[in-house]
Amino acid sequence: MSQSLRPYLACVRQTLTAALSLSDFASQTSERHNVPEIEAASSPEVLLNPLTVSRNQEERVLVEPSINSVRVSIRIKQADEIEHILVHKFTRFLTQRAEAFFILRRKPVPGYDISFLITNFHTEDMLKHKLVDFIIQFMEEVDKEISEMKLFLNARARFVAESFLTPFD
Amino acid sequence: MATNINWRTINIDALDPDSSTNFDLTTLTPAVQPISTAEVQTLSGQIRTLVRGGNAEGALMGALENAPYGADDQGKALHLGVVTEVLGQIRQAEMTPILQRIYQSDNGSELCDTLMKYLYKGMGQGHPATNSTSRNMTPQSTGFTQAGGRNFGGGEGGGQAMSVLLSWHEKLVEMVGPGSIVRVMSDRRTV
Repeated sequence: MSQSLRPYLACVRQTLTAALSLSDFASQTSERHNVPEIEAASSPEVLLNPLTVSRNQEERVLVEPSINSVRVSIRIKQADEIEHILVHKFTRFLTQRAEAFFILRRKPVPGYDISFLITNFHTEDMLKHKLVDFIIQFMEEVDKEISEMKLFLNARARFVAESFLTPFD
Repeated sequence: MATNINWRTINIDALDPDSSTNFDLTTLTPAVQPISTAEVQTLSGQIRTLVRGGNAEGALMGALENAPYGADDQGKALHLGVVTEVLGQIRQAEMTPILQRIYQSDNGSELCDTLMKYLYKGMGQGHPATNSTSRNMTPQSTGFTQAGGRNFGGGEGGGQAMSVLLSWHEKLVEMVGPGSIVRVMSDRRTV
């Protein structure tokens, strides 16, 4: 792991651990409803200060806590346009299968590539430290995945170009 | 006139003074004294003199004790700049002893919380909320895009300043625990 990635992930881990103290909270606007307050934003007093953890200009995590839900948005490193396309395809693949991931949000928050929405029901069903581990692991893996895909793509493009240009040799 | 209004999309809760949407947040905010930007400026001048005199610890203490909660955005940004400058001046090896001394001073816990606020604020700074312009695809007239060698959306800029804040954060959490982060989230007095 690179030198600056470790403190970044450690900071995200601490922030998430602190933010994931959720309790059940019924909606104050509509009776017998229970909605994630961070999404509904119908009661300003239950929204807490959002926190940003950033590694550099391009890589950062936004944690928006509220009384019964936390929205975690990740901006994935994109060094060039190929990586931008790959990240877009990759996150799209995941968000289209959002039911299978439980905590994945279908649409990222503007300015970020992928968002998770963790509610108190998730923290009741699942272990909190495992949820934190999942997000940290996702952040570790996604960079590796993208650079791997980019290498593979380049190798493939080179091969295709070579075989395409062979007849003109 | 009224034909253009889609009545179903109007948020009626926003119009109801008794609705929870219109909860008065000022009742939750502790009274803070308003501070003018000029006062913040003189304070930052004093802190900078302390740093130049080699007393980085005193400067940090002074900056945290006099956090301008009542200032406007400009004043707060000014003070944040001073705090990050002071934090950048302190060497890696000196961080833990300085933090320990701050923590053990009277109302040290409060000072550590303020420092935590500045660390998060500092990390939240330095990039616009969305920079869609730099992320647009810019194909060249040839139809090819050059993958390497282009400054794509800033790249690794600001990494140095962030890694300073990240290592401060790591050392601070080690000492005061996650409770400090919770207090940053829940405190309505923002820096």
